[in-house]
Amino acid sequence: MASVTINNVQKAFGDTRIIHDVSVDIADGEFVILVGPSGCGKSTLLRMIAGLETISGGKITIGERMVNNLRARDRNIAMVFQNYALYPHMTVADNMGFALKIKKADPADTAGRVRNAANILGLEKLLERYPRQLSGGQRQRVAMGRAIVRDPQVFLFDEPLSNLDAKLRVQMRGEIKALHQRLGTTTIYVTHDQIEAMTMADKIVVLHDGLVEQIGAPLDLYDKPANLFVAGFIGSPAMNFIAGRIEEGVFRSAGGLILPLPEGARPTDAAGRELVYGIRPEHIRATAQGMPGTVTLLEATGSEIFAKVDCAGEEIACLFRERLPLKQGAQIRIEPDRACAHLFDAKTGRRM
Amino acid sequence: MSAIAPERTGVTGDRTEVTTGRTEVTTDRTGVTADRTEVTTQASEESQSVRLAPNYWPFVVPALVVVSAVIVFPWAFTLWMSVNRWTLGQSRSFAGMENYLRLASDPRFWESLVHTLTYTSLSVAAPMFLGTVAALIFDARFPLRGLLRGVFVMPMMATPVAVALVWTMMFHPQLGVLNYLLSLVGIPAQEWIFNANTVIPSLVAVETWQWTPLVMLIVLGGLASVPREPFESAEIDGANAWQQFRYLTLPMIAPFLMIALIIRTIDALKSFDIIYAMTQGGPGTASETINIYLYNTAFSYYDIGYGSAMAVVFFIVIVALSFILLMLRQRSQWNDAEGK
Repeated sequence: MASVTINNVQKAFGDTRIIHDVSVDIADGEFVILVGPSGCGKSTLLRMIAGLETISGGKITIGERMVNNLRARDRNIAMVFQNYALYPHMTVADNMGFALKIKKADPADTAGRVRNAANILGLEKLLERYPRQLSGGQRQRVAMGRAIVRDPQVFLFDEPLSNLDAKLRVQMRGEIKALHQRLGTTTIYVTHDQIEAMTMADKIVVLHDGLVEQIGAPLDLYDKPANLFVAGFIGSPAMNFIAGRIEEGVFRSAGGLILPLPEGARPTDAAGRELVYGIRPEHIRATAQGMPGTVTLLEATGSEIFAKVDCAGEEIACLFRERLPLKQGAQIRIEPDRACAHLFDAKTGRRM
Repeated sequence: MSAIAPERTGVTGDRTEVTTGRTEVTTDRTGVTADRTEVTTQASEESQSVRLAPNYWPFVVPALVVVSAVIVFPWAFTLWMSVNRWTLGQSRSFAGMENYLRLASDPRFWESLVHTLTYTSLSVAAPMFLGTVAALIFDARFPLRGLLRGVFVMPMMATPVAVALVWTMMFHPQLGVLNYLLSLVGIPAQEWIFNANTVIPSLVAVETWQWTPLVMLIVLGGLASVPREPFESAEIDGANAWQQFRYLTLPMIAPFLMIALIIRTIDALKSFDIIYAMTQGGPGTASETINIYLYNTAFSYYDIGYGSAMAVVFFIVIVALSFILLMLRQRSQWNDAEGK
């Protein structure tokens, strides 16, 4: 096990800069998730840590060693790929024991470690099968088994669940988390799915266009997004953004919608500036004295009701946990929870 | 006309299996047609059922006729000739196993069998090795790769007899370019195809020169179909370049190597044109393979019966070899379900 330090790392393919300047400190045993939309550079960053991509600038350290010029095979890391990258002509047992075999380890010891990993992952009965004879979830487990057998310093996961169906994804999510708790190995995990990030990570790194937008614990990112991008990316359904400015102690949108200021916000801070008001759908309540609006969309799933409400020209997404007798086109009064509302600078996108 | 039969049968030998397989497919298809006919029958009236009763013979007969004429008849005829004493222009009489017994005690036949096997194994091994190396080289990216690959493939497109003539000139002890090149680096002149000891390796060199590109093309196709991702995980698993080749590349292209091996083996066993055009089996009988001996027996000495017996024995050798190769091929499969 080891800590990983990523220091001002950059990556360019020719003239195209994929990663501008990324620094992340990952403590020993931590589960860190790199999350961001497609093309943000998260997979490239992971492959640079793995040694599959060269580093254009900056420094990556695993444990005490600077690994910039170290080959992938000398970094003592294990990686689980999105497409599993199993060896198609080898049995499950051979796939899992391959790394030890080429290190000329004792075959009996290898067999023991393979059996042990198979036990952890429930693969005992599949050891003699070939990858083509396995389902997607089983292949995923074999790929993880191959990583476990290595007992590496760091686990790297590159979108390992994106080829699985939704149900299996939830199950594997739990298994990976449990595995991390059991083995305690430093883990770096890449995903574009913010739910995966929120449920599994000790620490989330939000990447966007090759830059770090925010680093923090999942709930910190949810409660205190540093900027508009993080606010919009974390949380589902996404946060409502309403453009406007502070006037006379209240927030007034361009369309004239008046919203109460978030708790702790001082009107003098941002008086006159262009602002964006952020409120999550789940932080809006239906009340008797709130803003009047018309329900334009209604989706009831049983556990909750998702609604879009048109308030003075602003379409506001709301998530109600209680069963409201709503109908499409009905009039409703809603009110944001001031404690959970956010204000962002419209120009810089920063949180106020 | 019948004089042509023995030589041809020898060559057609390996084809027999393939065509027989086709016959089976045809029969199966007809079976399907018959089933459909039955379905129609159930849906229609009783009177029609007589007319549409499964009668698939008309569909099978053309195939049967062709197969019989082209494969079964020459085969049976060769077998029949091999048990007869028959020299062209003389009367024929039944000989029983005489021709076969004569084969068993004919040193020239055994010698030619050894020549055939030596020639075949060398002219399979050398192109296989060089072709695989060439494929690995051409699989990498480097400038002018397409052009060089095209040049490399050219020998394959040349006519064997033309190739033989060019190489005969190159092999010429006094005038040939090969001895001139050797003299430049101080190696004494060789006799190449004019010496009993070097004639087979020299012929193999020509065969290798011509057919290495074929192996290269097949293996290159195999390399192109190999997935790239496992190599990344192997890199992370700590495999160096040699280990990646040994444990990943080689087993993954094994099915393609097997195809190349089978094609090369069949071609080398059948090889006639290059040897005949360059040495006619000489000097003496030093490069006389079964094909050449068989040709000489049947068409130079007109001993049709004896030649046919040779063809039959050679055919059995080919079938046995093909069988071994097919078994090997099945073992090399990893990408087909259940290894079929």
